[in-house]
Amino acid sequence: MKKLTQTRLLLVAACLVIVLPAAFVGFTVSKKTESPWFGKYDANAQEAYDFELQAAGGETLRLSDLRGKIVLLNFGFTNCPSICPAVLANLAAVYRKLTPADRDNVRVLFVTLDPARDTAEKLGEYVPFFEASFVGLTGDAAKIAAIAKAYGVFYQKAPSDSNDPETYMIDHSTETFVIDSSGKLRMVFRLDQLPESDRVVADIHRIRDLR
Amino acid sequence: MKRCVAVLVLWAGVVLVRAEILIEDPWVRAVPPSSSATAAFMKVTNTDGGNVTLVEARADIAKDVRPMATTKKQIDGHEVSGMEFVDSFAIAAGKSRILEPGGDHIMLMKLSSVPAAGTSVKLTLVFDGAKGRREIKVEAPVR
Repeated sequence: MKKLTQTRLLLVAACLVIVLPAAFVGFTVSKKTESPWFGKYDANAQEAYDFELQAAGGETLRLSDLRGKIVLLNFGFTNCPSICPAVLANLAAVYRKLTPADRDNVRVLFVTLDPARDTAEKLGEYVPFFEASFVGLTGDAAKIAAIAKAYGVFYQKAPSDSNDPETYMIDHSTETFVIDSSGKLRMVFRLDQLPESDRVVADIHRIRDLR
Repeated sequence: MKRCVAVLVLWAGVVLVRAEILIEDPWVRAVPPSSSATAAFMKVTNTDGGNVTLVEARADIAKDVRPMATTKKQIDGHEVSGMEFVDSFAIAAGKSRILEPGGDHIMLMKLSSVPAAGTSVKLTLVFDGAKGRREIKVEAPVR
């Protein structure tokens, strides 16, 4: 009986000596690695590259005119059959989960990487189809190239196996950029993160509340 | 008993064809009226006992219908997504292949009419396998 009690005491002591410190280490490690952010957050965000592009109806839009709003910025092309519609549909789902007050403070911009085919009018039909307030933007090819480069967006024409030169595709980066209300490029979402609209909305709320 | 299973499966929204190839949740992306292309998605499950291949697809609203795969390429060290036509989609015995946004899909081009959300598109899928060639017809809701 006495021997059994001693064994128990040893076991308890072993727990205290081994398990508790291990748990503490585990806790501190998890605390260090766990980020409250879902997207890739940049604590030292720099000012987002400014641009002025054409929207539908002869309007021009300058990014810096949207100071005070959170901007979700995506790049693509309207002949894109799968990825771009998926991105825009996902962003629409995110947008609809925002409260009306938050929607007033969020702008979604879609910049074409195919200015040869995507006119402002075509973008004006295409982009608001997913959500009425979303804005499609175009400009001359050199300007689009400079903007894409500034955001680290890579794209190139992909040869089509069709004889029709108008049916080409464009391979492109698929990130969505988040610019905070002070105009800083604060976050990047990967394509595969966008369907998780609740988590994207939570990040938008946190960015809204940054001071 | 077989009939009972078939009824149950159909009731669950699954199209059952000869208990060999299952097409689940087929759908077509609603796109703006000015679009020249859209895409069809679905889950294909092969319970055929051997490998099968989707070799051809047809749609009532598109003149050119082809399987397409999403690719990931490296350009200047950055991952870039793209798409390329493929001849077929192989589905190994006992496996499923999911055609989904951002991944593999069936591209519908040269649309005779742009399908509106809430309507449906009639798709014919042609599979090749050890048991020969067969066609499966499905109605894919547009959403």
